[in-house]
Amino acid sequence: MIRAPLVKALGALGSPTHQIASRAVRTSAVLAQTPAKAPEKIEVFVDDIPVMVLPGTTVLQAAAEVGVEIPRFCYHERLAVAGNCRMCLVEVEKSPKPVAACAMPVMKGWRIKTNSDLTRKAREGVMEFLLMNHPLDCPICDQGGECDLQDQAMAFGSDRSRFTDINYTGKRAVEDKDIGPLVKTVMTRCIHCTRCVRFASEIAGVDDLGTTGRGNDMQIGTYVEKLFLTELSGNVIDLCPVGALTNKPYSFVARPWEIRKVDSIDVLDAVGSNIVVSTRTNEVLRILPRENEDVNEEWLADKSRFACDGLKRQRLVAPMVRMPNGELQAVEWEGALIAVAKALQKAKGQVAGIAGQLADVEAMVALKDLVNRLDGELLVTEQDFIKGSGIEVRSSYLLNSTIAGLEQADAVLLVGTNPRYEAPLVNTRLRKAYVHNELQIASIGPKIDLSYQHNNLGADPNLVKDVCNGSHAFSKVLEGAKKPAIIIGVDVLERPDGAAIHATISEYCQKLKKPDWNPFNVLHNSASQVGAFDVGYQPGIQAVLQAQPKVLFLLNADAGKVTRDQLPKDCFVVYIGSHGDNGASIADAVLPGAAYTEKQAIYVNTEGRPQQTLPGVSPPGMAREDWKILRALSEVVGKPLAYDNLDELRARLESLAPHLTRLGELQPASGGESVAKPSISISSTPIDVKQKELRDYFMTDAISRASPTMAKCISAVNKQQRQDEARSCAAV
Amino acid sequence: MAKFLGINRLGRLFQAIREAGGLKQAYLKLYRNDDLKTGKLIGIDKYGNRYFENPYYFYGRNRWVEYSPHVNMDYDGSQIPAEWYGWMHYKTDLPPIRDGCRPKHKWIADHSENLSGTKEAYMPYSTTPPKVEAWNPNKK
Repeated sequence: MIRAPLVKALGALGSPTHQIASRAVRTSAVLAQTPAKAPEKIEVFVDDIPVMVLPGTTVLQAAAEVGVEIPRFCYHERLAVAGNCRMCLVEVEKSPKPVAACAMPVMKGWRIKTNSDLTRKAREGVMEFLLMNHPLDCPICDQGGECDLQDQAMAFGSDRSRFTDINYTGKRAVEDKDIGPLVKTVMTRCIHCTRCVRFASEIAGVDDLGTTGRGNDMQIGTYVEKLFLTELSGNVIDLCPVGALTNKPYSFVARPWEIRKVDSIDVLDAVGSNIVVSTRTNEVLRILPRENEDVNEEWLADKSRFACDGLKRQRLVAPMVRMPNGELQAVEWEGALIAVAKALQKAKGQVAGIAGQLADVEAMVALKDLVNRLDGELLVTEQDFIKGSGIEVRSSYLLNSTIAGLEQADAVLLVGTNPRYEAPLVNTRLRKAYVHNELQIASIGPKIDLSYQHNNLGADPNLVKDVCNGSHAFSKVLEGAKKPAIIIGVDVLERPDGAAIHATISEYCQKLKKPDWNPFNVLHNSASQVGAFDVGYQPGIQAVLQAQPKVLFLLNADAGKVTRDQLPKDCFVVYIGSHGDNGASIADAVLPGAAYTEKQAIYVNTEGRPQQTLPGVSPPGMAREDWKILRALSEVVGKPLAYDNLDELRARLESLAPHLTRLGELQPASGGESVAKPSISISSTPIDVKQKELRDYFMTDAISRASPTMAKCISAVNKQQRQDEARSCAAV
Repeated sequence: MAKFLGINRLGRLFQAIREAGGLKQAYLKLYRNDDLKTGKLIGIDKYGNRYFENPYYFYGRNRWVEYSPHVNMDYDGSQIPAEWYGWMHYKTDLPPIRDGCRPKHKWIADHSENLSGTKEAYMPYSTTPPKVEAWNPNKK
């Protein structure tokens, strides 16, 4: 675990080393911490272009400022500087040797030559050495076409090699490692840039990867036979500049030039990571992260990246209606819509709707409008939240400090949440603040591994009261902090006393509030939740079960919370969604909808940022976009909805909640007015979280439950655990 | 003179009508075969197809077949069985009824006509797995 105490100690002195470290990881947090007196800028010349930079800027960054890109393999702007690939060698005037641009801070008046004969010769030499031991297997390498080594060998390499294998010893050969079901390794291709090692220890916080041996015998590996299992392991695939670490489920599937890329949004957690969906011949092949500094930086959690094969299994491809013999049978759209419409007409207003985890805002609005036109009122989310007036103020259900803001926090209290698995990319922000910003973290809830040190205060909910009335030791930390934050998990708010916990914390946060900082945060784990509250859904299914509706719409509601025996016998259940899971199996009519890669739809993430997915493929079979199904149904029932296309629906959305159509923009929620104190007081049932270990992380929704890769991950985690247990038994 | 005026052809026409069995039959034959010829019946195969020859017509048109009446207008070249195929295509001048040295084995398969375009046509099945696996509600 790198906490870099030396760097921090130096940081107080404003030394150049500190500058390098901070710039290398691009933490705005640390930049904000720089001494009040800004150091004087110095002038350097890159290819004779003058540029003013801060002292401590590296040659590579100075060159980047004038738009000169220096080739590199080991340097990555979000990782610590290693300086071991030597590809970034450049000539500096009056320097006897070329310097490594990524690690060398500039001095006043330096003249850097990035395209001189010496520089070119140095690059050619480095490239020749790299290729001496790199196999020429580009035609069978999965990285081919998007390989940094391939591109840079073309751009900067020599046209011939002096490598002649006179002793017939062959190139260096390294045994492949089995590091899990997600990352395929071909270690012979490794060029020892150590990006993966640095990512694992700095960002992911697991010191599983490392190097053994020196020089030509150096190897990257896990030391002992072990799986590299973290919730962020897929990112080493993107980081690897060559084909040593590649995507295992995607291996030998497609070439980058055959692929169509569609910018979209991930919906498998509430972070709303920006993704690129790669498709070919109407099939989603892989998902890559897209850079967005405010949300996911350039990382992506494993579930979001690898669960895409779940989009091809367990799909609903045709409408189904339950026959008198109790079996669901595929029918035409007409028959299914008429069956639902008949039930709706019989229901006489006793209609309710439940929106599940993957429901998009458009479909939720269409369902709301349809139910309201049929004189129904009950529209709820499957994920529970506090009852009563809790969701009237928008800031009471948002992550108000914002995801990017959390890395500036200096004291954080987690209440009943495990951000590592509920929102891995929020956890990386917290870890970043922990490493670079002296963040102090405490948690109330079960003991969990968050990939960084934190102070577990215990699982007793009365600790919340203690902290919030200032009697606990951690209250001093929170009150003394410049930017404190309290993050509440949704699992806590599902409890009967959730409202009391929520009210206590939100009252305390009024006290902690700073002019431009709201410390009150709710960390959701379902992508639909914030959007549902924004358009007026109520939390929790209890209200629906009490009302005993005649027709119940399940919009992507697959968590299995509603069961058949909780509903009246004559209740007609209509499921609208993409996968055959808990929802579809209890339904009387199944209307096949589109998954998130197949529709243009808005999702609002946990900080309240509306973002839209774009369709990469078309929905399979007879499946249609969810809101279109509801629109068609409204026509059959005889109460047509007032929109015929997406633009008109978006206009309706705008009239409901204007921020929803300002895509990608964060609308600051109005300052949380104190919520009325609920009558129930905090009970003493210990606080628990649902996702405690890695194995709980992989399958949390209909798509990841259908994914074979996620199933493999779970069995790999179980296998690893059995091995560890056997080993520890043998040791005893 | 008669030849010059084409009266001999008229005679052939009458002969053809006579051989067809009257005006109505001649019309039907013309309708079905798009042709009305006179010729010598060489033989009838096991399906009831009748084979004719008339060396008056030039080579290529001097042998023809009138398909069995029960196929009506749905006749096609593949209904000619293998034994008559050779004679129809001038591979041999000896029709099967007069050719004694044709091999006859028990294992020779019966002729089968081309069923393309009919319900019984051969349809290869796909060997590629479907891209999307549908949910089966009855599988637990």
